[in-house]
Amino acid sequence: MARMKFLCDAERCIECNACVTACKNENEVPWGVNRRRVVTIHDGSPGERSLSVACMHCSDAPCAAVCPVDCFYTTDDGVVLHDKDICIGCGYCFYACPFGAPQFPVAEAFGQRGKMDKCTFCAGGPLPDNSPEEYSKYGANRLAEGKLPLCAEMCATRALIAGDGDTVSDIFRERVTWRGSSGFAHGWGVAYKNQHRDSKGKAVEGKAAGGD
Amino acid sequence: MAAQTRTANRHHRIIIWSLLLLVAATLLLPLIPYAMDYVDPSGTVPNPGADLWRDVRNGNIGTSQVLGVDAGVLINDNGERWRHFRMNQLIPVGAMFMGSVLALIVLFYLVRGPLRIQGGATGKMIRRFSVFERTTHWFTVGLFWLLALTGLILLYGRFVLIPVLGPEGFGLTASACKEAHNLFGPMFLVALLMMFFTFVKDNIYARGDMTWLLKGGGMLGGDHVSAGRFNAGEKIWFWIAMIGGAVLIGSGFVLDFAVFGQGREVMAISHVLHGIAALIVITVSFGHIYLGTAGVEGTIGSMVNGEVDEAWAKSHHDRWYAEVKAAEGGGENEESAGGTAATGVASPARDA
Repeated sequence: MARMKFLCDAERCIECNACVTACKNENEVPWGVNRRRVVTIHDGSPGERSLSVACMHCSDAPCAAVCPVDCFYTTDDGVVLHDKDICIGCGYCFYACPFGAPQFPVAEAFGQRGKMDKCTFCAGGPLPDNSPEEYSKYGANRLAEGKLPLCAEMCATRALIAGDGDTVSDIFRERVTWRGSSGFAHGWGVAYKNQHRDSKGKAVEGKAAGGD
Repeated sequence: MAAQTRTANRHHRIIIWSLLLLVAATLLLPLIPYAMDYVDPSGTVPNPGADLWRDVRNGNIGTSQVLGVDAGVLINDNGERWRHFRMNQLIPVGAMFMGSVLALIVLFYLVRGPLRIQGGATGKMIRRFSVFERTTHWFTVGLFWLLALTGLILLYGRFVLIPVLGPEGFGLTASACKEAHNLFGPMFLVALLMMFFTFVKDNIYARGDMTWLLKGGGMLGGDHVSAGRFNAGEKIWFWIAMIGGAVLIGSGFVLDFAVFGQGREVMAISHVLHGIAALIVITVSFGHIYLGTAGVEGTIGSMVNGEVDEAWAKSHHDRWYAEVKAAEGGGENEESAGGTAATGVASPARDA
């Protein structure tokens, strides 16, 4: 089984925001919600770099750990999803997330946020695959159709790569070797730090024995 | 012939030394920049990439076309700290704190039993709390437990109630709790202000409070300790509730009204303060409830119909009892009333 991951190559990202637009269009996300965003560091200065960020589908996801109603689950593909029928819109996942991935459609007095919405790796939600109910609540389920997330498919410079973690890191490693510079995979250390390898060298999800 | 050989030898030497010099220069000259850098490292040009990632890790704010709170932050390090606090500290330590205090109270009750009225009830009642004071108290009690229970369900429900109600059932319960907590929370400000202005006069430190504290309020054995309208223990509870309540309201407003652009860091700090203050006030309230009900015979009446037995008043709040009698203007207690007035505590019963 694949272990789905995103990787954004800062040497290639040109801050065109096509991934953001593609995501909004493909998933018909609520107004005001952006499941993906492009962040530029040192904008306008030498060394300027941009990165496209969304949910990284962490191995030991902080959002799932702090959720008071335990509405998160990880699919067999390593995609972190949540159940909007259980979510109470408390905002805790947003405080805990390292990437600022969880989004809320409203921000009003008395803690009114609406149900949390975030990147699903184009894998829908807990409802039947590609049903109208699933689409209206969670957006597209491209994974069920054998496709990868549209943001990565749309990326003109191939900065954003999505797919099985091993394949993604092979592609990135080859690039780094060829150009001989910047091999930093943003967020991987934070999102997958608890991933370890078992005795057969196979990547295993989750934390090592013990701990939180 | 000899001269020719000497010339040839000299040529050979020159060629060999020249070659050696060339090799040495080829090897050593490229090292000069390294040597200079070693002597004076200030001229180093840093790798811009390394700077970039260091800035990202330090939470350096970038820019984003997407508008939103903290949209320019790539890595939110506080999230992991807050998660650790909530899951590994607040939840387990809070449960142990509340549980052990409850267990101690039960143990105390089993060992010592309720504190009886000394010499038995006389049947003569005196007014301790006015209607307004009791209304203020019970309004605060109702609101406090509504907020405490909904808050505790949000904190512990995942571990306690999901096995009972199932994920969907608990989702509904938690949603109702969250809405109730958020909607009724701001009203606690009204309750707290009413409590403060109603009871602050009698909760200021007075002479005799330290003696009361040093003798453990007489709970640890021995005689009753002299006290005014409120003893030192009640005063400490009053100030814990007031200060804890103020922290709860301040942090609660930050959490409840996330419309002023406050970021995740401010929200996380508010949550930490809110959780600690709530668990302290809830836990101390266990002691207050015990002493007001099962712990001390004859106390509950003061908050039900506002009246207590004279014997209760004499043994637990002797100075206050004397003041009430003095204010009534009754002749029979003139002596002790005069004695109390000299201590300088002036607190006539409000609707005696």
